[in-house]
Amino acid sequence: MSRIVKSREFLVLVLLVAMILAVSTVNKAVLRPITLINIANSSLFLMLIALGQMFVILTRGIDVSVGAIAGLSAVVFGFALNAGLPLPLAMVTALLTGTACGMVNAAGIVLAGIPPIIMTLGTLGIYRGLMRVLTGGSWIESIPHNIKALAVTRILNVPLMVWGVGALVILVAILMHKIRWTRNFYAVGDNSEGAYLLGINTRLTRFVAFTLAGLFSGAAAIVFVGQIGFVPMQTGDGQELKAIAAVVLGGVSLMGGTGSVWSAVIGALFLTAVDSMMIFLRIPGSWNNAVAGAVLLLVVVMDYMIRRGAQRRRLAARAAEMLRADDTDDGAGGSKSGGRSGATAGAAGPVGGEVRP
Amino acid sequence: MAPAAAQMPDQPGTSGAPLVALRGIWKVFESVTVLRGIDFDIRPGEVHALLGGNGSGKSTMVKILSGAYQPTAGRIEVGGRAEVLAHPSEAHAKGIYMVPQEPHIFPNLTVLENLVTGLEGERAEIRRRAGEVAREIGLNVDFNAPGGTLSIANQQLVEIARGLMRNARVLILDEPTSSLTRHEVESLAAQVRALTRRGIGILFISHRLDEVLEMSDRVSVLRDGRFVLSAPTAGLTADRLVEAMLPEDFDNGNGNGNGMGKGRSAPPPDAQGNRPSPAPVLEVRNLSSLNFSDVGFSVHAGEVVGISGVVGAGRTELAEAIYGLDQTAQGEVVIAGTPAPHRSPRISQELGLSYVPEDRHAFGLFLTLPTTHTVSASLMALRGARFMKPAQEISLTRRFVERLRIKLASPLQPVRTLSGGNQQKIVLARTLAPEPKVVILDEPTRGIDARARQDVYRLIRELTAAGMGVVVISSEVSEIAEVSDRVLIMRRGRLEEMPPGPVEVDHIAAATFGEAASSGEPGGGRA
Amino acid sequence: MKGAKWFRSWEFMLLLALVVELGVLGLINPAFLDVQNLLFSTSDFVHVILAAVGLTLIIMTGGIDISGVSLMGLASIVLGLSFVAGAPIWLAVALALGVGLLAGAFNGTVVANTDVNPLVVTLAMLFFYSGLATGLPSLLDMLGFKAYGAGGFEAYQYEGINGLPKSFTWFGTGRIGWVPMPLVITIVLSLAAGWLMTRTRFGRFLQLIGVNQKAALHAGVPVRRTLVAVYALNGFAAAMAGLMLTAYFTSARADLGSEALLNIITAVVLGGSSIYGGEGSVLGTFLAGLVLGYLRQGLLALGITSDVVPVIVGALLISTVATRIALSALNRKRANRAAYEAERAAVAAIGE
Repeated sequence: MSRIVKSREFLVLVLLVAMILAVSTVNKAVLRPITLINIANSSLFLMLIALGQMFVILTRGIDVSVGAIAGLSAVVFGFALNAGLPLPLAMVTALLTGTACGMVNAAGIVLAGIPPIIMTLGTLGIYRGLMRVLTGGSWIESIPHNIKALAVTRILNVPLMVWGVGALVILVAILMHKIRWTRNFYAVGDNSEGAYLLGINTRLTRFVAFTLAGLFSGAAAIVFVGQIGFVPMQTGDGQELKAIAAVVLGGVSLMGGTGSVWSAVIGALFLTAVDSMMIFLRIPGSWNNAVAGAVLLLVVVMDYMIRRGAQRRRLAARAAEMLRADDTDDGAGGSKSGGRSGATAGAAGPVGGEVRP
Repeated sequence: MAPAAAQMPDQPGTSGAPLVALRGIWKVFESVTVLRGIDFDIRPGEVHALLGGNGSGKSTMVKILSGAYQPTAGRIEVGGRAEVLAHPSEAHAKGIYMVPQEPHIFPNLTVLENLVTGLEGERAEIRRRAGEVAREIGLNVDFNAPGGTLSIANQQLVEIARGLMRNARVLILDEPTSSLTRHEVESLAAQVRALTRRGIGILFISHRLDEVLEMSDRVSVLRDGRFVLSAPTAGLTADRLVEAMLPEDFDNGNGNGNGMGKGRSAPPPDAQGNRPSPAPVLEVRNLSSLNFSDVGFSVHAGEVVGISGVVGAGRTELAEAIYGLDQTAQGEVVIAGTPAPHRSPRISQELGLSYVPEDRHAFGLFLTLPTTHTVSASLMALRGARFMKPAQEISLTRRFVERLRIKLASPLQPVRTLSGGNQQKIVLARTLAPEPKVVILDEPTRGIDARARQDVYRLIRELTAAGMGVVVISSEVSEIAEVSDRVLIMRRGRLEEMPPGPVEVDHIAAATFGEAASSGEPGGGRA
Repeated sequence: MKGAKWFRSWEFMLLLALVVELGVLGLINPAFLDVQNLLFSTSDFVHVILAAVGLTLIIMTGGIDISGVSLMGLASIVLGLSFVAGAPIWLAVALALGVGLLAGAFNGTVVANTDVNPLVVTLAMLFFYSGLATGLPSLLDMLGFKAYGAGGFEAYQYEGINGLPKSFTWFGTGRIGWVPMPLVITIVLSLAAGWLMTRTRFGRFLQLIGVNQKAALHAGVPVRRTLVAVYALNGFAAAMAGLMLTAYFTSARADLGSEALLNIITAVVLGGSSIYGGEGSVLGTFLAGLVLGYLRQGLLALGITSDVVPVIVGALLISTVATRIALSALNRKRANRAAYEAERAAVAAIGE
């Protein structure tokens, strides 16, 4: 239990609640349930992209093309719907597009050894360009109504999509817990050399991570089209950067090895909430980016300082321990050399306990 | 990666066919021969200690055993059958597991995950086995705690556990005690005994003679790629071991031909027969930091001060603090008469102090750049220095190539193409270029061949003859004895000076390693 | 030695590629063979080259700064707003450049003093500076500064600020002989940057830090100071690029340069710099920038819409790096095989 409380995800949740409460003192409308539901609803797109990005960052990679993948998948999705494909099939095309895009990234990075920032920056241009090529530069305006129904229908006043994505998130969390192979993401990110030596297929792990990023971006595209109802050219613009900000905020370290599904969730909620709060505070929307950037910077710098403090404390404790051990031995005099030569029967004692000479 | 069925004899005891054997192993790197047809084996239930100084080939042999390197010639036998270990995981599969000097821990994963990562099988079953193994070896920590909170001792136990869970029959412990407290060392020794009772063979690599004598059944000493000694521990003394490790040209008699080690603490009289009063080129007073406390000593022009101590005693930290790489150190440092309260590498070099780091790859060299870039780096970094034109750089480098007898084809070739010994000389060139008054050399002959080592000793003599003060930090007692005029011993953060007088290897060994080593009585091995 | 030779020939290959490219394009549209036209058309993309040159200095150290594109807009809007507030134009220029310098220095300070990945730091600042640029008008209004025009600063939010004096816009639209001013400025600054990198201690420090930062520290290189300075220089270059664009378009806008990131990084990488640091060439970046710029124009002339251009640029970026990696892997394989042969021979010679 204490582990949960001490976690970054919980901290950000607390900050989120605190922020909402603080703003409510200025504008009570913020506390109405519909506001909070709307925040959740608006965060879905970012949340799914962040979820995909999480896998990549866990393995110590980075993917700046996830926004473009979402955009491209949205375009394909729109085409499929307009071509008359039934909704489930059209959704599959979106997911396939995303997965394919992710696999291209994975191939370049893992198989060809291209640094992730370069590969994904290149595919960012390619996918975004492909979007324009496929649509001839114009927006996809008319989307059949059945998809919009998903966004508009509400159960308990909560849109269907929120329920859907919520269920998906829980499913992913369960899968990550149950499927042991997913721990490889953490191992590879935390210490890839150690993982390699212990027999983990680090290449496969990273390949899957980038592929999953594409898959979830495809899923995000479905949410986007459902919510917005058409596909503008700017779909996904800048979302990759926001996704990175969201997961880092939520506790996924860029050094790999830490973080969880809930990091992506809470990070996306937080960033979306910040945007909403600014509306309630009547701060012009033009400040959104500045606030997002400042928040990300503060989070990573503070994370650094906390890590450094912890490391310093560990080193100091260790050094003190070593120096102290020397004192007790010098005082004991001859026991040091004489004692151990004699054999000691008996089982191994616990670490830190004494082995009687 | 399923644990392989045991391919080696299971019976405990020190008899029986070897668990793993090296037969006629050669290893040649690009024209430097590191191992010359060595034979080595580990029998069931024994602790076989491996000793060897810098450049002996010790770490290469271990890498071959653990599957990280391939031999140039020769055979590896596991359980009597010839095998090829192309990768560490193949070694694991054949029952050989190496516990590295720095354990591979996943800091953000739980202890349990650290233990089970890479293992296949039913989750609950593996968990149970991990708990079992941990209890057996005394790893008593919260399995849910993050790996990063493990002490070094426990990290080692995790590695040992990993090996046991892979049914390892041979465990290689690489310098396991260098970062442990005495209690932890004793615990480790007890674990080792328990493991051998199960028939597991241990390869114990260390340079701590007292521990080697106490914990091992057999000792083998590697020198220049050959075994010069391989015998049961019973009947061996520390003196015998030190003697075995000495380089061939070392003379421990009254005059060792190098003109050093005579216990001088003052420079010889000059041509007129006057004895100049020695000027201290480095004074350290009450220096304290995380790893050492209240250290004080001084170095005079023309003398060599050796600092002896085992790995982990705090010597490198001391050197870094003096040089200015540790901003938290407190105390006084005076370089060539100028107090230096706020130090940095730049300031230290300006005042006349240079430092040759222990890990030349990590801290001393710019591997992918031409050698000229490394050689000129310190000089160019001095305040007020000007940019050196390529021609100047090349001539500077050439001068040092000649002076230090560096073997290279062109000053413009990248540093990484040079051999270890020549690379070390390049680092020396860099630190000597600003013409310092005092130089600290940290393990200067680590990983370099015998000839280059002699070159380094010769250089030290030349430097002191020119009036420079030299500090040599080394964990090789023979080296300290060979080069030093005065010897300081560092133990767990405290510095003590040895009494003036002739510098003798066994005295140094005694002070450095502890009383057991100097008792002159045979080590008991294990009763 | 082999590495340096290969690298030199990379710049030569770029020059070759440029000539070939212009030749091929000239076959399609003779305008590409007209020197005057070639010079004039650089004004479209030369700001990318200037920003890329600044970034090259940073990449030498193994770092990166992606906030430059936001600084372009920020500098532009600072210039415009200062002008609108009544400052003389030279003061406005100084303020804009100063903001770039300070912003870069801030980036460098964070990078030099924390171990946070420079990509993440400058990612955050990319957001921040862009938000600052768009939000500045309303901020100034709130703070009570005075602007010409009844709408206050807010009015200039979306329209851009026009009416900049000729003495300023000449630097964007004017020429010296046949050479447009933006190109002149870029050439001058590129020469300065190249000199900095190859003929000064500062440039050597950049390279040493990029190859092995710890070893540089040990040798006495003032690592922290150097890093702050190089990020500041990049900020200055980005601000200058933004001002150049402002003068060229004769309008100050907050969103200048937002599309340029891909082009800038492609120019740097195509120019032969290694993303890991230690290797870089201002000349290479300059030539690569020309290759890319004319490529874009050539594609447009071929009737390929501007939407497709990022696809080609992206593909070019990826294939350039892939080729470098493949070549170095090939080199390494060859060296390993030679070493292995030498080993075998040595053992045979010992006669075991």
